[in-house]
Amino acid sequence: MIQEESLSTQSVATRIEERLKPSAVPWSRLSVLPVVIALLVSLALPWVADLLPFGKFILHLLILFFLWGIVVQGWNLIMGVSGIFSFAQVALFAVGAWTSGVITQQLGWSPFVAMWFGPVAATVVAVILGLPTLRLRGAYVVLLTLGFQELFRNFTTQGPNFVAGGGYGLRYVPKFPFEEWVGGDKAQFLYYYLALVFFVIATFAIWRIFYSPIGMAFRALRDAEVYAISRGVSPFRYKLFLFGFVAFFTGWAGAFYVHWYGAISPAIMLFGTTINLLAMIVLGGWGSFWGPIAGCAVLTVLPEIMRAVEQYRILLLGIVLALVAIFAPEGLFPLLLRWVRRLLGRQTR
Amino acid sequence: MEKLMQAIYGGIVYGSIFGMMALGLTLIWGALRMLNLAHGSLYLVGTYIAFTLVNILKVPMVPALLIAALGTAVVGFGIQTLLLNRILGKPGWDVGSLIVGVGVGMAIDQSILLIYGPRVKQMPPLIPGIFKIGRVVINYNYLVVVAVAVISLVLLSVFLSKSRHGLAIQAVSQQPDAAQLMGIPTRTVFLIVMCISAALAGLAGALLSTVYQVQRESGANAMVMALVVTIFGGLGSVKGTIWAAYIVGLLQSFLMVYLGAGTALPGVFLFMMLMLVIRPSGLFGLGEAQRL
Amino acid sequence: MLKVTDLEAGYGGSVVLHGVSLEVRDGEAVVILGPNGHGKTTLLRTISGLIRPSAGRIEFDGKVLSDMSPADIVATGVVHIPQGDLPFPELTVLENLLMGAYLPEAWKQRKEKLEQVYELFPVLRERSRQLARSLSGGERRMLALGRGLMSNAKLLMVDEPSLGLAPFLIEEVYRKLHDINKSGLSVLLADENADHIAGFADRVYLLEMGSIVGEGTAEDMLKNEALLAAYLG
Repeated sequence: MIQEESLSTQSVATRIEERLKPSAVPWSRLSVLPVVIALLVSLALPWVADLLPFGKFILHLLILFFLWGIVVQGWNLIMGVSGIFSFAQVALFAVGAWTSGVITQQLGWSPFVAMWFGPVAATVVAVILGLPTLRLRGAYVVLLTLGFQELFRNFTTQGPNFVAGGGYGLRYVPKFPFEEWVGGDKAQFLYYYLALVFFVIATFAIWRIFYSPIGMAFRALRDAEVYAISRGVSPFRYKLFLFGFVAFFTGWAGAFYVHWYGAISPAIMLFGTTINLLAMIVLGGWGSFWGPIAGCAVLTVLPEIMRAVEQYRILLLGIVLALVAIFAPEGLFPLLLRWVRRLLGRQTR
Repeated sequence: MEKLMQAIYGGIVYGSIFGMMALGLTLIWGALRMLNLAHGSLYLVGTYIAFTLVNILKVPMVPALLIAALGTAVVGFGIQTLLLNRILGKPGWDVGSLIVGVGVGMAIDQSILLIYGPRVKQMPPLIPGIFKIGRVVINYNYLVVVAVAVISLVLLSVFLSKSRHGLAIQAVSQQPDAAQLMGIPTRTVFLIVMCISAALAGLAGALLSTVYQVQRESGANAMVMALVVTIFGGLGSVKGTIWAAYIVGLLQSFLMVYLGAGTALPGVFLFMMLMLVIRPSGLFGLGEAQRL
Repeated sequence: MLKVTDLEAGYGGSVVLHGVSLEVRDGEAVVILGPNGHGKTTLLRTISGLIRPSAGRIEFDGKVLSDMSPADIVATGVVHIPQGDLPFPELTVLENLLMGAYLPEAWKQRKEKLEQVYELFPVLRERSRQLARSLSGGERRMLALGRGLMSNAKLLMVDEPSLGLAPFLIEEVYRKLHDINKSGLSVLLADENADHIAGFADRVYLLEMGSIVGEGTAEDMLKNEALLAAYLG
C-alpha cells in the first residue's frame, strides 16, 4: 500500500511540475490569427445567415448554442477538471433566469440591470450547496445537487404565484428592448451579438482557469487528492471557488435566456435537459477544453433537425452515452481528431 | 388524534416503500462504489412488467410480482455483465459508472415510452377494500404493500448478516482488498449485488403500481426519495438505510398531514441538508473514510 | 513448495520488482528483509494475485499461480495476511474470522478451525461479538492472523507483522508465528528489520530496489552484521 502511494504521488508531482513550466502555459503560445478570424466570422454570421432561406432559424440555433455552450463549459470545468459532480447546473441556470425575470416583472427594472442579479443569486446558491458537500465524497454532491434541482423545480411549479405563475413558470417577462431600438427584423441580430459577447467572455474566463496553474493542478490531482492534502493544498477552497465561479456564468446564461424568450417553464429542469447537457460533455470528451464545445454544437443542432424522430433520438443518445463511457471514456471528439490526424498523416506520406 | 394516526400510518407506508428503493441503492454503493442513477428506471421496469402481465396477459397478481422482480434482476444482470464489468476496477470508474447509469436509465425510460405510449395507466389493487379505525381510512392494499416490503427487508437483512454469501457481500463492501485475499470472488459478488438491488427496485415498482398510477415519472420520483434516504442513513450502511427510510417516511407524512402536501419535499430536503452539516456520514454512517 | 522465478511487476507504468527469484520449502519460515518502499509489499501482493506480474513465473505445489485470480490462489493454500491487517471494520470478530473460511472446503470445517484459532488467540474468543473496528492495534493483528488461519492455508504470507505495534506485542506476534510455523505451516514473512529473525527464520532474503541482493540461512545473515547494516541501516 505504502509503496503504491509514494509511487503515484511521485508521478503526480512530476506531472504537475511539467505542466507548471512557463512554456506550458498556453496563452503564451496562442496565435492571434485564428482568434481574430473566428471573431470576424462570428461577427459577420448574422448578415450571411440573413441571406439564407432558414436564416432566422440558424440564428436561433446559434444563440442556443452560445447559451448552452456557456453552461456546458462551466459544467465541464467543475466536473471534468475538479471532480465536482454537480447535477444542479440546469437549476442554477434557472435560478439566474427566475431571479432576473421576477425582478423585471415585480420591480419593473430594466433587463439590463436585472440580468446582473441572476448570476449573483446563482453564485450564492452554489456556495450554499457547496459548503456542506464539497468536503465530502463526490457522491454526496450528486445526491444533494440532484435533490436541489428537484426542489427548485417543485418551487417553481407550486410556489407563490409570482414565481410559479400557476404552474406555467414565468410568462410575459420583459425582453431586452432590442425591437424598440432597431425594429423586429434586426432585433434578432442584437440578441445574437449580446449572446456572442456573453459566450466570448465566459469562454475566455473558463479558458483562463482551465489552463491556469489551479486548473492544471486540479486535473493532475483529480485522482490523487491524498497527495494534495498532504501538501497542504485545500481542495475544498478551490472547489468552492470554482463551483461559485461557474455558477455565475451559468446564472448569467439563464438571465439572458429569460429576457430573450420572454418566458421560462419549470419543465426545463426535468432530467432530460440535464442529460442532454451531460451528453454534450461526455460525447465531446469530458475534461478536454474544446470537446464539450464541439459536443454542444452537434447536440444543439441535432434535436432541432431530428424533431420528427425525437423519441428515437433520446433512446439512441442514452445508448450512445453508456457505450461512450465504456469504450471511449475520453469522448468521441478526441477520438475523431486522432482519426483525422492519422488520415491526414497517411496522405502526406 | 386522528391526524396523528393518519400521519403515522402514512409514514409507515412511505417508509416501507422508501426502504425497498433505498436499500438497493445503498447495497450497490457499498459494494461497487457506484451511484446507480438507473435505479429509478429499474423500478419502472418492474412496474411495466407487472402491468403487462396483469392487465394484458391476465396473470394473477402474486406470480406477476415475482416475475417482475426476477425480470428486473435479469436486466440488472445484463447491465452488469455487458456494460459495467468492462470498466470495473479501472481508473475513472466513478464517473464512468455514473454516466453508464444515466445513459442506461435514459434508454430504458425512453423504450418504455416508445412501447407503452405516454398515457397514464391504472392497475387493480392487490386486495381491494378498506376499513376504518376511527376516521382513519386503512386500505387493505397498502397493508399488503407494507407487509411485502417489510418481509423482503427482513429477509435481506438476515441474508446479509447470517449467510456465508451475505457476509461476503458486506466484506467486499468494507474492505475489498482483504475480501479478495480471503478467496471471495469480488466480481461474482458485484453481480449478485446488482441482481438483488435490481430485483428490489423491480419489486417496489411492481408493488407500487397498485398504489400509484402507472406512469413514467414515478421512477424518477421514487429514486429522488431513495437518494435522500440513502444520504440520511449514510451511504453504504444497511441498518442506517432501513432506519432512515422510516424516519424520512414519517417526516414526509407528518409534514403532509400537518403543513400540507407542498411542504413535504422542501421540508425533507432542508432536513437532509442540516443532517449533512451536523453528521456528514449519516445516521449510522461508516465513520472514517466518508470524509473525502 | 513456492517457487518464484524472475518476477517483474509494478503499478501502471512503473516497474517495482526487477526479476525477483526466491523459494520457500515445505515447513520453512522464510523472511524477506528490506527497507520500506523497496518492493516487499508488491512482491507479496503479486504472489497472491492482487497485482498481475509483467514477466516471470510463480509456482506453488506444481501449480502456476501467475495467471490465476486471487480467489483461486487462496484455494491452492497460499494465504496472504496484508499489511495493516485490513479487518472488515463493521463486522464482528466472529464474522471476520468466518470470512477467513469463505471458501467451501474451509467453510465445512469452520467450527473446528474456529476452536483452533480461539485456542491460539484467547483474546479473540473474548472479543468475538465486538465489531472489528473497536479492537486495539494488537488485537487487530491477532484477528488478521486468526482470519488467515481460518482458511486451508499451506503457506502463510505475512506482511510486516511488527508494523505499528509496541515492542512487547511484536515479541508476542513473532512467538505466535513461530508456533504456527512449528505446527507445520510454511511461513513467508516480510519485515524491515532483523530484530526478530533470530530463532524464528530458517532462511532470509534481502530485497533492495526491487531485486534480491542477498540470501542465506538466518545464522549466516545474523553473523554477517556488516551486510545487514549496509542494507538495513
